[in-house]
Amino acid sequence: MADVTFSNVQKHFGAFRAVQDLNLDIREGEFVSLLGPSGCGKTTTLRMLAGLEFPTSGEIRIGDRVVNDVAPGKRDIAMVFQSYALYPHMTVGENIAYPLKKRGVEKAERARMLKDTADMLQLTPLLRRKPRELSGGQQQRVALGRALVRDPKVFLLDEPLSNLDAKLRGHMRAELIELHRRLGRTMVYVTHDQLEAMTMSDRIAVMEGGKLQQFAPPQEVYREPSNRFVAGFIGTPGMTIIDGALSGSPGAWRFDAPGISVEARHLGPDAAEGAASMGVRPEALTIGTGDTPATLRLVEQTGHENIVVVSIGDIRMTGRTTPDKVWSPGEEVMISIDPDMPHFFADGPNGKRLNAKPSPRGNEPSHSLSNLSEVSP
Amino acid sequence: MATRPKTLLERHYALLGLALIAPTVLVFCAVIVYPLISAIYLSLFSIFTPTLEGEWVGLANYRELLTSGDFWSALRVNLIWTIGTLTLQIVAGVGMALILHQNIWFRSLARSLILFPYFVSTVVAVLVWKWLFNDLYGILNHLMMTAGIIDWPIDYLGMMPNALISVILVGAWKYFPFVVIAVLARLQTIPDALYEAARIDGAGPVARFFDVTLPQLRDVLVVIIMLRAIWDFKEFDLIFLLTGGGPVNSTETLPLLVYKEAFALNQMGMASAYAVVMMLIMLVFMILYVRRTRSVDGA
Repeated sequence: MADVTFSNVQKHFGAFRAVQDLNLDIREGEFVSLLGPSGCGKTTTLRMLAGLEFPTSGEIRIGDRVVNDVAPGKRDIAMVFQSYALYPHMTVGENIAYPLKKRGVEKAERARMLKDTADMLQLTPLLRRKPRELSGGQQQRVALGRALVRDPKVFLLDEPLSNLDAKLRGHMRAELIELHRRLGRTMVYVTHDQLEAMTMSDRIAVMEGGKLQQFAPPQEVYREPSNRFVAGFIGTPGMTIIDGALSGSPGAWRFDAPGISVEARHLGPDAAEGAASMGVRPEALTIGTGDTPATLRLVEQTGHENIVVVSIGDIRMTGRTTPDKVWSPGEEVMISIDPDMPHFFADGPNGKRLNAKPSPRGNEPSHSLSNLSEVSP
Repeated sequence: MATRPKTLLERHYALLGLALIAPTVLVFCAVIVYPLISAIYLSLFSIFTPTLEGEWVGLANYRELLTSGDFWSALRVNLIWTIGTLTLQIVAGVGMALILHQNIWFRSLARSLILFPYFVSTVVAVLVWKWLFNDLYGILNHLMMTAGIIDWPIDYLGMMPNALISVILVGAWKYFPFVVIAVLARLQTIPDALYEAARIDGAGPVARFFDVTLPQLRDVLVVIIMLRAIWDFKEFDLIFLLTGGGPVNSTETLPLLVYKEAFALNQMGMASAYAVVMMLIMLVFMILYVRRTRSVDGA
């Protein structure tokens, strides 16, 4: 049974279509991230689920119940806001117990639930303080506490970590994963930070322009991006996408772009001759050996590896090398692209993936994911 | 601890600072400090206003003032007026601010119109209200009689308690826009997320008002109440023009009494004594206000 379901949901603000034809089945107990750039509709989607926005059309269900006309307070959800939205005049304890009070939970029971939640989040010594006396991380924890205290069916989290510094963000990420594992509740998490989405989620819903682009586990989103947008959005450094053309016939495809000509393997039945694009992740590019001449443009030393940008004519590609290689910008190098690793997409900014399933061998994401940086695209 | 001698540049800056604040200090002394001290000084004399000649009487004016029925009756009227009109201003002001904070279609127009009573001159406002209140041809009596609510015209300004009630109502009408502006400004800074969080936490509209809106308005309301209390307490023109303190002296507040003593009875010394006592009463509000704003700044 799907715990949260969006069926053909649309949300228009005047002429602006914030969310279009959204269909999403979130399973009970699943941690799902809504990921995408600003204005992609992810926050609107979450707010519709919370009852703070009303869908223009379509149906939203939580469990078996259609909640389109159910008030936010009656949906059995809890939400953590980006700004935390703690009540400034109430103490930490009053903030956490507020949803219980409004639901008429009896005083002794309220105190017991408050104590349990405070113990779990290590907030007990802070219960009498006001939110303004707390650090960002502590406020974040209080906001979580207010959401956790009444054990709702679904947790909604709207970029809850974006106001924290990088170190604390890493720490809270681990705590949230641990919390989800312990509670086993459905969590819907909005973020524009792919690192958060990749590390925490059971599945990621990548959105762009109000449309769902892909809904799949993190590994699959990385290895088999459903279209050109997802391919370019996920991964740091990003995938190099080269515009060119496919030629040949099934089983013997070639991809050509100015200065590049490669055999296109593992294409599926949708492949056709004509304009197309090829996506190359940094790990598919070998720098220093190969048969294609290129010019080295930029070397970024991160300590454990070098990020290297090379160019072939107007095409710039990003690759990685071990840190012991010494390069200097302007140097002529030979490169090669692992023919089993490129992704191919149909023409257009959201061109569909043309590779055959299952995915080509070798895109070992474990290595690549661990190297995603904090910087969001 | 030995202090380091000041450098030439530091001395220059100190001089520049003095030069810059000097004009303000001089103006402040001329228009505030001098009148204040001379009022206290004058209150120790018995002075005939037209000639400004008088003799030293010491604290006799104060003794007479505190034992006269006029002072206590004016103070009582003053307190009723202040508390009555202030309460109405706050209730109507907060209510109207809440309405104007909603997404109503004529919001910008309504926000401008609501300021009208505050900006219109007191003389004009009083003329209009006197006309409305008139017992012979006033529209209020006409409408109420047409509607069958009353059989005979009501004397709004010439009878008690009607006169005091009318003054309080006109005062509330005239000054509630100030409360609207201040409260509306504060309402607009309350983050929407707080209301959204409260909705998710299960709070209805009434609970949201008491648990989110009101606590957020508290600081601004305290400041408004202090300021308006001071201003209403010393209100002169509106009451003077509307009733002149009458009937007899039933709407005579302390400022009106000061005026009467100074320019009708020609007792400048006595008038100064009344003014000084008034100032002492308002000093209580002023101290509260200053302490309050200081603690708000410090928070």
